[in-house]
Amino acid sequence: MNIQELLSASRVKFHLTSNNKLDVINELIDVLNQDGKLSDKDKYTEAVLRREKEFSTGIGMGIAIPHAKDSSVKEAALTLGISKAGIDYEALDGSLAHIFFLIAVPAESNDVHLKVLSYISRKLMHQEIRDRLLSATTYEEILAAFKD
Amino acid sequence: MKLLAITSCPTGIAHTYMAAESLQMAAKAMGIEIKVETRGSVGVENEITPQDVKEAHALIIAADTQVDKEQFAGLPIINAPVQEAIKNPKGLIENAINAKKLSNPDEKITEPKAPAKAKQNGLYKHLMTGVSYMIPLVSAGGLIIALSFIFGIEAFKEKGTLAAALMDIGGGAAFALMVPLLAGFIAHSIADRPGLVPGLVGGMLATQIGSGFLGGIIAGFCAGYIALWIRNYVKLPKSLEGLKPVLIIPFFSTLLVGLLMVYVIGTPVKAIMDLMTQTLKGMTSANAGFLGLILGGMMAFDMGGPINKAAYAFGVALLSSSVFEPMAAIMAAGMTPPLGLALATVLAKNKFTLEEQEAGKAASVMGISFITEGAIPFAAADPFRVIPAIVAGSAITGALSMLFNCALRAPHGGIFVLLIPNAVSNLGMYVAAIAIGTIITALLIILLKKSPAK
Repeated sequence: MNIQELLSASRVKFHLTSNNKLDVINELIDVLNQDGKLSDKDKYTEAVLRREKEFSTGIGMGIAIPHAKDSSVKEAALTLGISKAGIDYEALDGSLAHIFFLIAVPAESNDVHLKVLSYISRKLMHQEIRDRLLSATTYEEILAAFKD
Repeated sequence: MKLLAITSCPTGIAHTYMAAESLQMAAKAMGIEIKVETRGSVGVENEITPQDVKEAHALIIAADTQVDKEQFAGLPIINAPVQEAIKNPKGLIENAINAKKLSNPDEKITEPKAPAKAKQNGLYKHLMTGVSYMIPLVSAGGLIIALSFIFGIEAFKEKGTLAAALMDIGGGAAFALMVPLLAGFIAHSIADRPGLVPGLVGGMLATQIGSGFLGGIIAGFCAGYIALWIRNYVKLPKSLEGLKPVLIIPFFSTLLVGLLMVYVIGTPVKAIMDLMTQTLKGMTSANAGFLGLILGGMMAFDMGGPINKAAYAFGVALLSSSVFEPMAAIMAAGMTPPLGLALATVLAKNKFTLEEQEAGKAASVMGISFITEGAIPFAAADPFRVIPAIVAGSAITGALSMLFNCALRAPHGGIFVLLIPNAVSNLGMYVAAIAIGTIITALLIILLKKSPAK
């Protein structure tokens, strides 16, 4: 399971500065875009927001997973952002979100990437892993949280 | 106690798996056995088998996409949006535990039959999936073509007019997609996503080589099973595994299906067409009633395939030699299949699915417009019962039309041409021939067809 490939060190932001939903989406997309994973930032942003409109990806338990599958994505990539203070992400359970996974998948994606994403999605359901992500201070600790 | 669950979300990237994990964790904590099938963008994983269904107490469907419930008949089903499984897995599981098994006194008696039926249902299910995707396309395309006839039956020939545009939309685009869509979704039903591309291409080739919807059904099944086989049995080194869904499966399955359609299916189709054309040429002087019988049956046999095309081309060719009777027989016989089916859906609602009953209404409009394709969804869904019925009805209509000496001076138009003075001779008897064929078709279908599986 090659998580580094999907989530590089340059796309982990330990201290998000935003304090509302729209800002944090843009902040995460900026990180993704600076890393050269998008061919059309605006188009991708639009796709993410459209997805949020269907129902919030703030799935509760302090996690939000804004995501979009769109042709503006060059290759599958994750961006991780952490906010100790928490941000109101219109979560299902009304709690503040602390861990943000922005998922970008190209319109045509291969199974390996999708499998890694499904693996990560499953892991996020575990309290222990969420706690470790939240207390992580280095990229290595993030990777270790998923791998153990 | 064993529970089953299916999770699925529109993008199929994250929620599907979160919901699955969440249900599994909650079940584990509660000491309950659960099997969760995920339907995400990777395709179906951890698929529920008939054996699972037999053993299970209840099924949880946590999905924001359509999940077909047919295979779970008899099992109590708890429906919920996918986020409910993430937020409140325990509640869903409790509901499932408390759900009562549907009491079905006949269950034990029908049990011995079940395995054989399940196998047949596999093929049938794939076919029906393809057909259900095709029905709205046929209805939309057919009605739009019929709309173009309102401007006059020849109006579409004038370039740049609305009638021409309607014909392009309905005939040029919608009907051109009909067989590819049928084949594509049969293959999709068999092999999930990897099946779609070879199915679509195989269906397109079926159209191009003139094999009609029957060729399309063959293409769909071949494409589905070839893609499935490559997906399951071709092992690649790990580094290449990622290329499988985007390159390896589409390339090889499409290539194989394509070659199969062009060489194995295409050659005999052309031979059949040539043979039919030759035979018909030799029959010009045959007994009129017999010729009508043959032409009529041919029109209904494969609707758009080689046999239908040979008959239609024969009629059109004779128009230029001022022989108008066979054309009349051909059009009448082309109208009765959709008309007869439409009538059958009204007379015997219990023999058709709700979807088919709706399609019956569109078929009636297509029938009066001589758009035989309106019958294709019905024929594709149940070829061995529907085709004999519509062939018999059309053959009788064709024979009657010839015996009544009806003549038709235009190669299409359906009911709209009947309104034009002198386009049809012996109009009253012509309408009678169509009506008789329609009734015979409907009665035979009702007689032959079984009620859909509940």
